[in-house]
Amino acid sequence: MSEGRAIVEESDLHAYVDGQLAPDRRAAVEAWLDDHPETRAHFTQYAEQRRALRAAFALTPGASIPARLRVARLLAEERRRRHWRWTQIAAALALLVIGGFLGWTAQSLAPGLQSALTGGGTTTARRITTDAIRAYRTYSVEVRHPVEVGAAQEVHLVQWLSKRLGRPLTVPDLTGAGFQLMGGRLLPAEDGPAAQFMYQNAKGERLTLYLRSGIDGETAFRYREDAGIGAFYWSDQGCGYALAAKADRAVLMHIAEIVYRQTAGDSGKAKLPPAPGKPG
Amino acid sequence: MPALRISVGSPGSGLHLGKVMRDQAVLIEPYIPGLRRFANALLRGDRERADDLVQDSLERALSRWHLRQKEGSLRGWLYTILYNRFLSDQRHRARRGIHNTLTEAVEAELLISGGQDSALAHRDLVRAFATLPEEQRAVLLLVAVEDLSYQEAARVLGVPTGTVMSRLSRGRDRLRQYLDADRRGGDAGPKGMR
Repeated sequence: MSEGRAIVEESDLHAYVDGQLAPDRRAAVEAWLDDHPETRAHFTQYAEQRRALRAAFALTPGASIPARLRVARLLAEERRRRHWRWTQIAAALALLVIGGFLGWTAQSLAPGLQSALTGGGTTTARRITTDAIRAYRTYSVEVRHPVEVGAAQEVHLVQWLSKRLGRPLTVPDLTGAGFQLMGGRLLPAEDGPAAQFMYQNAKGERLTLYLRSGIDGETAFRYREDAGIGAFYWSDQGCGYALAAKADRAVLMHIAEIVYRQTAGDSGKAKLPPAPGKPG
Repeated sequence: MPALRISVGSPGSGLHLGKVMRDQAVLIEPYIPGLRRFANALLRGDRERADDLVQDSLERALSRWHLRQKEGSLRGWLYTILYNRFLSDQRHRARRGIHNTLTEAVEAELLISGGQDSALAHRDLVRAFATLPEEQRAVLLLVAVEDLSYQEAARVLGVPTGTVMSRLSRGRDRLRQYLDADRRGGDAGPKGMR
């Protein structure tokens, strides 16, 4: 190799130290270093550094993987958790169905029963679904300003809303259900900010996912409907989610499952269960 | 009471699932030692937290198994997940008001005094290394210790390869200055070093 013609850059020298050069390139760099003793001394030090770092952080020889990091164990844990969660969802759904049925048949006898069983529930759930429906009603009809930050700036949107809500948020991908993200906005809520993500399908139908952080208490599932707008609510790991749209319960439930899968983080691997049929 | 059944998983997929699980174990477990080493070094020798981080990352990887890119490197993907978890943990700790520089200094001392023998033998280097900015430490660890290519390291860190090269260059230069200063007689070291 002719050192006169070889153009050697600093990145080549690092690659030389890190063993990331092709053999012919390596020869060229070595030849170049022969002509540049000061640089060679420098990079010889870097090579020593590299060896020392490897030695300093070397694993204890013969150490085995601790039980809690074994893949089989992690998978078993995940299955257990998922099973438990879906049991909860199934129970909640059963309640919704019973509630709807009872409420519908017994409406004339006990007007309060329906709301107690379906729309009622915990006050948190009620508050959040009310807020979510209001926000849906206000913004989903917007033509020019449906969102504050558009989907083109999704990364910024997520960072911003995560920061304001004080927890990392995930924007669910609903393209599988035909809905594209339009963007999102920050909203005021009773005791802190709330986030709203808006989606739209090819028919121009919109749905929103409304999020609140700092939700205490048990995982709760509630469905509520107000003047044609349905909202399905659940909470998970301190975050309250309300999915709102002008859609019936079955459609919302199906999308809620997708959102739940993607936001729960540890239940995304499971095959999607079939959407429950329209209850009632 | 209406019977409402939700099936989890697909019926008759038991055999297939068993195979996927074995595959996951076979594919992932060879990288676990490296992931633990990386986490341990990022967290300055706090092994419990390092294993928590690895566990967290593996759980995430398993739950998003279908999202990994078949043609991409599994190793790179695992390191990416781990590094992102690490960063969000750091941000979380910062938000909760845990003063990073102080805990880092304490942790660095812990690593040096109570840590591994290998670290003891390289005390000056480890101490100097602990004072490097986060991003330079991560690059040095991925490239020099974990043997990732520059391109893989760039993907893990979510930056262009050029940025990896400049962080590598600055990190190595700073380490060299620290160690040179140490050799010349201790007190000449840059600020933050004793």
